[in-house]
Amino acid sequence: VERVSENRDPTRDRMAGQAHRIDDTILIREAQHGNRAAFEELVRHYDQAVLRLALHLTGTEQDAQDVYQDAFLKAYKNIGSFRFECSFYTWIYRIVTNLCLDHLRKKNVRKEDAPVVKDCDGGEYDLLDQVPDGRAGANPERDLMRRQLGARISGALERLTPRERMVFELKHYHGLKLRTVGEILHTTEETAKNTLFRATQKLRGQLADMR
Amino acid sequence: MKCEWVRENITLHVYGELADDARHELEQHVARCADCAAELKAEQEFHALLGEEREARPTPNLLAASRMKLQEALETAEQGGFWRRLAFDPANWLRQVNFSPALASAILMVGFAGGLGASYEVFGHQPGTPATTKAPAPAEASITGIQSITQEPGSNQIDIKYNTVSTLETQGSLNDQRIQQLLLFAARNNYNSGVRMDSVDLLTKKPDVLQVRDALIYALQYDTNPGVRLKALDGLGGFVKDDVQVRDAVLQALVSDSNPGVRTEAMRLIEPVKADGSVRGVLMTLAAKDQSQYIKSQARTMLAQLPEID
Repeated sequence: VERVSENRDPTRDRMAGQAHRIDDTILIREAQHGNRAAFEELVRHYDQAVLRLALHLTGTEQDAQDVYQDAFLKAYKNIGSFRFECSFYTWIYRIVTNLCLDHLRKKNVRKEDAPVVKDCDGGEYDLLDQVPDGRAGANPERDLMRRQLGARISGALERLTPRERMVFELKHYHGLKLRTVGEILHTTEETAKNTLFRATQKLRGQLADMR
Repeated sequence: MKCEWVRENITLHVYGELADDARHELEQHVARCADCAAELKAEQEFHALLGEEREARPTPNLLAASRMKLQEALETAEQGGFWRRLAFDPANWLRQVNFSPALASAILMVGFAGGLGASYEVFGHQPGTPATTKAPAPAEASITGIQSITQEPGSNQIDIKYNTVSTLETQGSLNDQRIQQLLLFAARNNYNSGVRMDSVDLLTKKPDVLQVRDALIYALQYDTNPGVRLKALDGLGGFVKDDVQVRDAVLQALVSDSNPGVRTEAMRLIEPVKADGSVRGVLMTLAAKDQSQYIKSQARTMLAQLPEID
């Protein structure tokens, strides 16, 4: 339980604080009446968390920026149909997660042609994961280990189904409650729990030798 | 069976997603069962292993670039039509009334009933049975709207809920929460730019308060009056170094503010952080193609003072 509190996302905390300060409802209503400045203010309440999620799930800044752009443009165009039946937080996350899921599905198709090879233990790994990132560090050995660990984790995450990946990402890295995750993904809390369990089991299996 | 249940729920336990009674049950079991305790430890270690990595956060540059790109796209984006359907369009409304006699009759009846209700209020009550006026009679000009009119069945008592506007006055120091709240409200919402100017001017004395800083950023980005934007800029100046949001807002003003004075002031404020990646990027763009000769030459001068990046 303590671990969960450590994992809390400061961006979200700050976001929640801001949401108290300026009532989103007012901004949403203004935006629904065509006030672009109000919409831009609304964007600023959520965009750091959105960009972070997109960056994690797409893996590149360019793709993350595209998802960010598409998500908020879609929100702007459709804000008229937002009827306060759920929080704006859930609504915007729904848009972003849908875009990210599309991206992951396309990526999975492309990945079939990616340069995947087998290591000496028979486990698959992506050649692209082995490319060093070129950043200088104070401790090259530690950097190398960290990079290898990161590559292994990224590889394991990429082998999850898009939906498992999404549930795991929202829970583990964004600290969302599984009830909210269910709402965002149009499913039940129970299904979200099962998906998280499955994702964790798969990851543990793939990263068993790292512990 | 118990061990199986525990293993199925250990993940949820580590993520703090178990109900209190289930959590209690699990903890009780783990305290007694060495196998399950080992499983819990393994799950916690795995959790920690994943937590160490992938803490990648978007850089301020990426965030600023994404915001700018979005702003450009919003310039040309059009909203869907739903809000327009909700918005009150008197001409369309009259057309509808024109073509729907039933609706017109209903409105007429409501109007008639309303008039009747009003006369009950004014003339209807008997001497000796005072009308239950919970509020003193308001001046007509201060009534902003009637919320509801209901008549108790079988009586002549009418209950009207109405909203009023009245001018109130409050006094206090700048440290007073109420005063701060009102100033923040005035900075964002007042139609009178003089009032906005006064409130922003006072708020610049409290830029340490996060809410105040947000209000100043808002004023810098969205206020229509350049004087107010300049005042906001003055208040934010001290935070360009330490607060990324302030830096982004000042950079945005430097790039896109319509007023040359505001841009020049923004240019002066970013001088101490000119080596920052996002600032350098903006300076390079300005030096290459800004329409203002002054901004262009200032950007070039600042860039020339920077060390080369290889």
